[in-house]
Amino acid sequence: MKKFLTLALALVLVIGCVANASALTIGFSQVGQESDWRTANTDSLRGMAEAEGWEMIYDDAQQKQENQVKALRNFITQGVDYILFTGVVTTGWDEVLKEVNEAEIPLLLIDRMPDCMEEIEYAGAFGGDFIEEGRRMARWTVNYMNTTEDVNVVILEGTTGAAAATDRTAGIQEVLADYPNYKIIASQTGNFTRAEGQAVMESFLKAHEDIDVLLAENDDMALGAIDAIKAAGKVPGKDIIIVGCDSVKAAFDAIVAGEMNATIECNPLYADAVAELIKKLEAGEEGSRELLHPEEGAFCIDGGIEYAEGKVSVKAADVIAERKY
Amino acid sequence: MKSKESIFKNKLTWAVIAELLILAVAGILEPGFFSIEYNQTTGMLYGSLIDIINRSAEITIIAMGMTMVIALGGTDISVGALVAVAGAFALKFLRWDVTLYPTPGDYTVYPFILVIVVPLIICTLMGLFNGVLIGKFKLQPIIATLILMVAGRGIAQIATNGKQFTTGYTPYRFIGQGSLFALPFPIIITIVVCVCVMIFVRKTAFGTFVESVGVNPNASRVTGLKSDRIIMIVYTLTGFLSGIAGLIYSSRISSCDSNNAGVNYEMDAILAVVLGGTSMTGGKFSLTGTIVGSIIIRTITTLVYYFGITSESIMAFKAAIILVVIVIQSEPFGKWMATRNARKQKAGELRG
Repeated sequence: MKKFLTLALALVLVIGCVANASALTIGFSQVGQESDWRTANTDSLRGMAEAEGWEMIYDDAQQKQENQVKALRNFITQGVDYILFTGVVTTGWDEVLKEVNEAEIPLLLIDRMPDCMEEIEYAGAFGGDFIEEGRRMARWTVNYMNTTEDVNVVILEGTTGAAAATDRTAGIQEVLADYPNYKIIASQTGNFTRAEGQAVMESFLKAHEDIDVLLAENDDMALGAIDAIKAAGKVPGKDIIIVGCDSVKAAFDAIVAGEMNATIECNPLYADAVAELIKKLEAGEEGSRELLHPEEGAFCIDGGIEYAEGKVSVKAADVIAERKY
Repeated sequence: MKSKESIFKNKLTWAVIAELLILAVAGILEPGFFSIEYNQTTGMLYGSLIDIINRSAEITIIAMGMTMVIALGGTDISVGALVAVAGAFALKFLRWDVTLYPTPGDYTVYPFILVIVVPLIICTLMGLFNGVLIGKFKLQPIIATLILMVAGRGIAQIATNGKQFTTGYTPYRFIGQGSLFALPFPIIITIVVCVCVMIFVRKTAFGTFVESVGVNPNASRVTGLKSDRIIMIVYTLTGFLSGIAGLIYSSRISSCDSNNAGVNYEMDAILAVVLGGTSMTGGKFSLTGTIVGSIIIRTITTLVYYFGITSESIMAFKAAIILVVIVIQSEPFGKWMATRNARKQKAGELRG
């Protein structure tokens, strides 16, 4: 009897394992919900798992690294098939990511790349091309202004030290360096938030009387700055040209209202690219160590301004209805 | 002679001197910093000094309550989260269901009175919650207020489903962006709040009660003061004031930003109180000092933006100024200055 029971139990276990193996299990360690962009990013990847019939174990780290380390270790114990990972900070991941490597679970890095990227194994990396986004902000501006007269530019930088901030600033500076009539007269962090973007712009307007262009490294700061410009008695979008980045819904509203001129897209919808890679890996193909960028566009009041080689911006009013975030 | 000594020992004097020194440096570097003009298009006074007072509104209002919290020997670290809560609920009542009303515009779904009153009531109740935990259950203030510091932001997120609502409703935007008597409206709110709090505290015996409980709660109880009730009133008031600050914050940006609204406000408010000369150990407090403290903090931030100090060095720059201000205010420094002055005076008298 005892033997029979053991046998039966073993059988159940084996069947259980087989049944489990038929559906992929994916662990997803997300930083938390910090912005509409992040929500869209999470929804996109969770939607992917649902659409493909994969099981996703989702962990919201609430902006805490220790929660993410715990989640990653849990994924290892649970024996998931893939791990999707977005690190809240860039440093301090060496140890836990090596544990993931030792457990031989394919790791897919999403959006934010850890510092130790070179030393660890990963099957794929998906992230925005922040430098290119910066370049596009500057290129759009230069092509839109289309002038040889002096143009005074102010920049609202993102959170000091964040890759999205340093890289976008670098991209902007790189392009503007080729146009000596464009002068960056002030550049200051607005911490990626509306309130600080507004306060910093308010001071820029006091310190410099002749600002022509505002480049804000995310849309939230641009939206905050619009109110500061109004309070100074100037007309946003006309007296001062405003270019944002990210392409969130609120920016589209502002562009359609004529208070903001353009926004460069930073696409959070990684689902298609990630699903494609996972299917490739399942078919036995090799992963890639190259950083893959999602397709990104640019949107402005009238459309038709070139922001990258062979690419022109889209009229915001035409696509606003389809925007999900 | 005696009056001179007390002036130098008075921390408020030093706070004012510190503020004037910072402004003087700014004025020497760039005289335009002081320019204030009347802007025809907006009908508002326009200048950096106005910005400083305008943008210090939130911290000044919160710090009014925080001053008494600290005078009681406590701290309230939930104020920043309550700022987020107030904004989130105000926007919730303005927009209610963003799938039904997808575009932000000059409208409100629920009556304006609810938009204002409900967030204030919620924040007041949260303040009362802090007060009950500390006054009745005798929890350590930092632990008790930690609960809402963490939970508050979560509640704010839930109220708006983790989304950032935006509004274009003119009466709501007036709170943070409008003007009255050519002054930005937040300044008017701040003046009204400060005057009301000061009258309540100084024209009644309440201020004395707070100081007495702050110095020795047990002795106060023995003498017949209901210390738990005083504690509850102070924390409830702080919650209410955080609610007002939250409405101003969200009105300025015409949206709720539950992740970023009021971040580090608890630290700024505590700093404003300390810069204003109220000791963290409790007891005597100065509301006027707190106002000056709050203005000092904002002056530093505005200076940083105005003079284009690089983003990387902002923190270090702010810390350096605050360090100088606090050292100048410290007791040994004050004593040293007083004795030095006395000696000089004596020397002068001898010579004369």
